[in-house]
Amino acid sequence: MIRRAARRTILFCLALLLVAGAWELYKLVGPEGGGSLFGTRMIPKTSDRAMPHIWDMVQRLGEPENRGGGDPIWVTVGGYAWYTFRLSLVGLVLGVAVGIGLAVLMARFKFAERGLLPWIIMSQTVPLIALAPQVVSWSGRISIFGWEWPRWASVCVLAAFLAFFPVAVGTLRGLKSAPAAALELMDSYAASWTKTLFKLRFPAAVPHIVPSLKLAATLSVVGVVVAEISTGIRGGIGRAVLSYQQASTGDPTKVYAAVLGAAALGLLLFGLVVLIDVLLMRNRPQEVSA
Amino acid sequence: MTPNKILGASMNAVVINKVTKVFNPDKPNQVDALLDVDLTIAPGEFVSLIGPSGCGKSTLLRLIASLIGPTAGDVLVNGKSAAQARLDQDYGMAFQQAGLFDWRSVVKNIELPLELKGWDKAKRRARAHEMLALVKLPEFAGHMPWQLSGGMQQRVAIARALASHPPLLLMDEPFGALDEMTREHMQAELLQICAASNTTVVFVTHSIPEAAYLSDRVVVMSPRPGQITEIVDVDLGSDRDEGTREADAFYDSITAIREALRGIEHAEIRGGVDDR
Repeated sequence: MIRRAARRTILFCLALLLVAGAWELYKLVGPEGGGSLFGTRMIPKTSDRAMPHIWDMVQRLGEPENRGGGDPIWVTVGGYAWYTFRLSLVGLVLGVAVGIGLAVLMARFKFAERGLLPWIIMSQTVPLIALAPQVVSWSGRISIFGWEWPRWASVCVLAAFLAFFPVAVGTLRGLKSAPAAALELMDSYAASWTKTLFKLRFPAAVPHIVPSLKLAATLSVVGVVVAEISTGIRGGIGRAVLSYQQASTGDPTKVYAAVLGAAALGLLLFGLVVLIDVLLMRNRPQEVSA
Repeated sequence: MTPNKILGASMNAVVINKVTKVFNPDKPNQVDALLDVDLTIAPGEFVSLIGPSGCGKSTLLRLIASLIGPTAGDVLVNGKSAAQARLDQDYGMAFQQAGLFDWRSVVKNIELPLELKGWDKAKRRARAHEMLALVKLPEFAGHMPWQLSGGMQQRVAIARALASHPPLLLMDEPFGALDEMTREHMQAELLQICAASNTTVVFVTHSIPEAAYLSDRVVVMSPRPGQITEIVDVDLGSDRDEGTREADAFYDSITAIREALRGIEHAEIRGGVDDR
């Protein structure tokens, strides 16, 4: 177990080095001003402004956000990432709750599956950017028992909108994966549908739910960042990417600090889900013995 | 023929009265699974159902378990309707696949029916350990099912079926997937367990020697539609051991069952010829 974790960590670092190497290699041999292929501008520029050196990016992490002074930028970006992480987490939890709820409903009632599933699939064809302004406009218009709907809650709803989908589909498949013999056994115990749900269907669904959680975690981060950018909410990594991008003419390495921050928070949330995976699957048959 | 010594249906373990089962009635894929089946099983009796595939023996077992309902006729278990007997947990059931839950330890698998009955934790844990001792797996309580061999898994399944001490045990080819040695061993153990707890057993099998070794009576069934063609009494006494397998009476029973099954086969072949 520990050896496998160590091997994975080494492989991960190796992959990072490989990407960095490819970046620097292309920068070395690629045309400075970019180029055209089949009449379209396809080959990226390799100038320091378009593709800064890796070491310049790393160095930039230690310098303050604005040339004037203050904390090094990695601390500032870390703060933004933490803000976005918390929103993503709320979005993920919301999405998982809605996804599992819908899946249970669909597993229980055939007509719910026939009626809901097409809508659930269709919901994912709506672009998030088109939806974002609508949902953000809820703030100031909705208050629940005196609780004013804040803008960050809209961002969470948008993240949940992306995250619920894989969970709903995965959980539904999982709930239906209980073997017929096991269902018959529960029947022979005269167990109610609810008892069968908790004693058999949910545990049997775990191997299907866990991978869908991994997808949902990544989608939740994407949802929050896109929602932050398209609604201009401050405090998160999405806004940082946007404003650093605008400053990239004079400070090309700055935007990469934000990109790194976004990647780090994505990894953090993914890691959290992997932890849940390990916890839930610790007593299951190992893949090697299957 | 039926050892119906005690008068009154309420004293019988199982009463099957003119039961007919038709799947998908009035549809192109209609199947007449059982036709006018009558069978009475006394408490403590071990009855096997044997016959070619499609003769409805599993269907009959599921009717007793009230997992499906009859098209006509009725089934009584312990003097009540089969449906009520299921609600009251008057029987335990074991299938060809052990069907243990992968995510529960061995002891928790055995506790499952007790948990559903609402027993408190200490009581059901104690009973589960008692059952594990009965099936001779006391040291495997904490193991996960997938860490056990097929035979051990099947023993756990039997322990689970017997956990609530039901008066009736329904088994559908429980040893079908086991190798011959394990199988004979399990048969001997099953007889011991049932004798000790005075459990009535209805046992579906494909194997003639298995039916002969285990049963007081062997119900021979014919297919299309499923009917009881003959009931063979097995006179091997109640103390059966490895020596029983070499006794002349054992071979006589095997021959009797085989001939009853042959009768079905011949009738089928004749029927086929007549059709042409």
